[in-house]
Amino acid sequence: MTVLKTSLRNVLAHKGRMALSAVAVLLSVAFVCGTLVFTDTMNTTFDKLFQATASDVTVGPKDASGGDEAASRTGRPPVLPASVLARVRGIEGVESAEGTVSSSAVTVVDAGKEKLSPSNGAPTIVGSWSANAARAMKITSGAAPKGPDQIVVDADTAGKHHLRLGDEIGVITAVGTHRAHVSGVASFTVTNPGAALFYVDTPTAQRILVGRTGVYTAIDVTAARGVSDEALKRKVTAALGPGCTVQTAEEAADANQKDVEGFLDVLKYAMLGFAGIAFLVGIFLIINTFSMLVAQRTREIGLMRAIGASRRQVNRSVLVEALLLGVVGSVLGVGAGVGLAVGLMKLMGSMGMKLSTDDLTVAWTTPVTGCVLGVLVTVLAAWLPARRAGRISPMAALRDAGAPADARAGTVRAVTGAVLTAAGAVSLYLAAGADKASAGSGWLGVGVVLTLIGFVVVGPVLAGGLVRVLGAVLLRIFGPVGRMAERNALRNPRRTGATGAALMIGLALVACLSVVGSSMVASATDQLDKSVGADFIVQSDNGGVIIPQAVEAVKAAPGLSRVTEYKVLDVDLTTPDGVTTKNETINAADATYAQDLRTETVAGSLADAYRPGSMSVPEGFAGKHGLRVGSTVTVAFRDGRTARLTVRAVTSDDVVLDQGAMYASIDTVARYVPAEKMPLDVLLFATAKDGQETSAYQALKSALHDYPQYTVRDQTDYKKALRDQIGRLLNMIYGLLALAIVVAVLGVVNTLALSVVERTREIGLMRAIGMSRRQLRRMIRLESVVIAVFGALLGLGLGMGWGATAQKLLALEGLNILDIPWRTIGAVFVGSAFVGLIAALVPAFRAGRMNVLNAIATD
Amino acid sequence: MKAYGAGETRVVALDHVDVDIDRGQFTAIMGPSGSGKSTLMHCLAGLDTVTSGQIFLDDTEITGLKDKKLTRLRRDRIGFVFQAFNLLPTLNALENITLPMDIAGRKPDRAWLERVVETVGLGGRLRHRPSQLSGGQQQRVAVARALAARPEIVFGDEPTGNLDSRAGAEVLGFLRRSVDELGQTIVMVTHDPVAASYADRVLYLADGRIVDEMRQPTADQVLDRMKDFDARGRTS
Repeated sequence: MTVLKTSLRNVLAHKGRMALSAVAVLLSVAFVCGTLVFTDTMNTTFDKLFQATASDVTVGPKDASGGDEAASRTGRPPVLPASVLARVRGIEGVESAEGTVSSSAVTVVDAGKEKLSPSNGAPTIVGSWSANAARAMKITSGAAPKGPDQIVVDADTAGKHHLRLGDEIGVITAVGTHRAHVSGVASFTVTNPGAALFYVDTPTAQRILVGRTGVYTAIDVTAARGVSDEALKRKVTAALGPGCTVQTAEEAADANQKDVEGFLDVLKYAMLGFAGIAFLVGIFLIINTFSMLVAQRTREIGLMRAIGASRRQVNRSVLVEALLLGVVGSVLGVGAGVGLAVGLMKLMGSMGMKLSTDDLTVAWTTPVTGCVLGVLVTVLAAWLPARRAGRISPMAALRDAGAPADARAGTVRAVTGAVLTAAGAVSLYLAAGADKASAGSGWLGVGVVLTLIGFVVVGPVLAGGLVRVLGAVLLRIFGPVGRMAERNALRNPRRTGATGAALMIGLALVACLSVVGSSMVASATDQLDKSVGADFIVQSDNGGVIIPQAVEAVKAAPGLSRVTEYKVLDVDLTTPDGVTTKNETINAADATYAQDLRTETVAGSLADAYRPGSMSVPEGFAGKHGLRVGSTVTVAFRDGRTARLTVRAVTSDDVVLDQGAMYASIDTVARYVPAEKMPLDVLLFATAKDGQETSAYQALKSALHDYPQYTVRDQTDYKKALRDQIGRLLNMIYGLLALAIVVAVLGVVNTLALSVVERTREIGLMRAIGMSRRQLRRMIRLESVVIAVFGALLGLGLGMGWGATAQKLLALEGLNILDIPWRTIGAVFVGSAFVGLIAALVPAFRAGRMNVLNAIATD
Repeated sequence: MKAYGAGETRVVALDHVDVDIDRGQFTAIMGPSGSGKSTLMHCLAGLDTVTSGQIFLDDTEITGLKDKKLTRLRRDRIGFVFQAFNLLPTLNALENITLPMDIAGRKPDRAWLERVVETVGLGGRLRHRPSQLSGGQQQRVAVARALAARPEIVFGDEPTGNLDSRAGAEVLGFLRRSVDELGQTIVMVTHDPVAASYADRVLYLADGRIVDEMRQPTADQVLDRMKDFDARGRTS
């Protein structure tokens, strides 16, 4: 009981000193809980949406690759003939059945040809206004669509694009472009996170989405009273036979939910990963805090030991303090996490994804997970300092407290750290030299972890040398103040090491990713320069296919010498060694593609692969299955017949673009895949006639004006787009890493603040003998800058090492140019020095405000 | 005059003290605990402010100076030796000695510095850190620091309070020599009659007033006077 009482009093007495540790715990726990609440809420939202939109039983066309995917390949959704509807209506237990038509392979534009589709990846769906739609949505103004000229739009989209009744809307599909006027606005009864929805009447939907009447993409079946969905499904399945898929409402919702969940899980685990990094950084902060608190209380603890407290009691009293800290931080963190989730939802809202706080889902596991994690991490982090406290001898009570003795970075530590780092370096070396990506990535992982731990262990030892070097370079100009700052940073290498290491972790990741990202851009740019012969590339903004009208428009543009179409087909391959490789793809293109992308071959000529009945295989695949020029491969087209194609070329794997692709000509595959099942183009390559590059680029842009979903880019713009894309991805990751860096900066503040408290008398002395407030503040700022720069040096060095290794490893995948983004690295370095300045603001201010007399007063 | 608090809780620590410190002399301030001797020294040294009254260092009135000017005054014209914790643990002995000049950005006067160091008798230990020095040596380094910048006046706040009698005698002897040989002005607060006997003049403080003074004291005289005060204190 006494243990608890002393711990509680200590926590209360030092609550200021523990505040930053509590904030670190709070932030990490908040991030974990925020992530969980946010993803759970998204799940709930989608779940409600799918529940609301599913009918009792849905009948769909049998299509192995799934309706949406098929639609995205051919531009038209797979359909059921109207006769199926008649048969369904005749089944006993069916109350009613309605054929519906809908497709997401659409682009919707307004009168000014501006896209109305969401830009964040959410789908655009055009469908027939059915009873099912009328159940999930309420028309809030206007009326349901009737006739070819009327279309209903969902309220969110209407609001976002200021659409009013009577406005013109264009629906672009593979069938053609259809124009209609807004006849009504409908809003969902549940939250619609972001899809843009448009409704026309059934005949119009059939005509504009499929191109013919008398077909449906799905049949919504309502069960008669007293018939369960399951029973109805059994009856329908029995009646229709294997030609259709039949799903109950629950199954349909689950199937939809599964897609969303996959995405949400990736999001969740990625964000939890970043929370984990923040926790890791927080551990350093907590260790430092408790080490300092223990050091400052050496005399007090010595007294407790002298009057009979056992080691275990002292040990436990520190751990109980950690427990209290963990509980307070975690509980606050859970609350902050819910706030964070709401903030994230708002942020998503500003990016076009609507989420309602009505759906806010806090599972009971969320606060439990957060609290358990927070408390566990805090107590574990306090373990070492607690043990150290237990080892304080009763003699400490008798000694003069003064400044704690220098904690010498031991030889054991240096050796352990060096061994770990060396082992990590060897792993990295092996990773860089690996000739198999899988083995190499294993070595890379081991190397990264070992070097990180090694650096953390050896950090205090390095602090001695590095800080001296930094002092010589940075601090000399500040004279004696600089020298004192250097000495202060060196005073306790373990503390400086741990504080710097916390910053190191975040910055190492930043450096590593920036190296990999910029190497990616450099390698791709280099490949584009070397191997792409086409002047222009046309592709869809959302990864969809290019509809035939757009292809025609591109081909009709003046000033072009050639246009190459490029498609991707799903195939199963059977090689002469008897092995069948499922789910492969063949890239079918016009023969001119060999000029558009000059892929190196290791055997045969790529041009030959485009001859009838021929194909090319990549080096790796050829090696694995013993293929050579002249071998025959059996190719089973997913949507067509089976062909036997002859290998005419083996392509090199040492490329970035189209790595591992198999090529055949479109004419070859067209003999085995029926025209209506033939996928649409995914890319178009165009090349201008000599000297007409500029005018051709303009001509292509205007040719695609009617199709805003496609963008044409010349090589320069393409490279820029590539760079922007990778840049955006990196920025997002940096944003998430910012949490870990913020915690690390808190660690620097914490170390300085506690140091200032610890050095009260010293500071008083310096002030008494004539150091001005400004000099004192500068000294603390410089110390902070040195610690931050020390962490940055370690982190950037480590991260660049990782990045370079990753590049060497990925060179196997074509990432053959190492590009170190010196500007980013330099900015991070300067930024960390600046962060050091900021971190010192409050501690320096407080040190300056310290009362000289109180500081020097003896007890 | 120096007072803490206001109204009923007002405590007067120094009550109309009027004192001149002689240049080139060693002055000791004595008095029982709570007599205000430390407060007097802190005020004289510009570490603390007075409620009313004036303090001059030479011709400079230090009462009413802003912190910046006071700091500079302490740095350039005043030296300090405290009872304990006089040295920065991160700096070696020599660096500690030159610290006030380093802070000021001035070059130490080589010859003077050598003379001071010699007088203190620390020649071989200048590169040692404070933790490697004995208590007496540490105090001697502190005294050397106080003298090295050639301040107009050095204040000592029980400089021998934490030392055994032999180490204390070394430090006091050194202070005495610095007055005699270097012409330094020193004011020292102490409650040790032996320490006070090294001074040229002893001021006795009680209840915030100067109640007596003695010139060229011996330890016995000081002790007698102190006993006298104690007796009077008890009877009154």
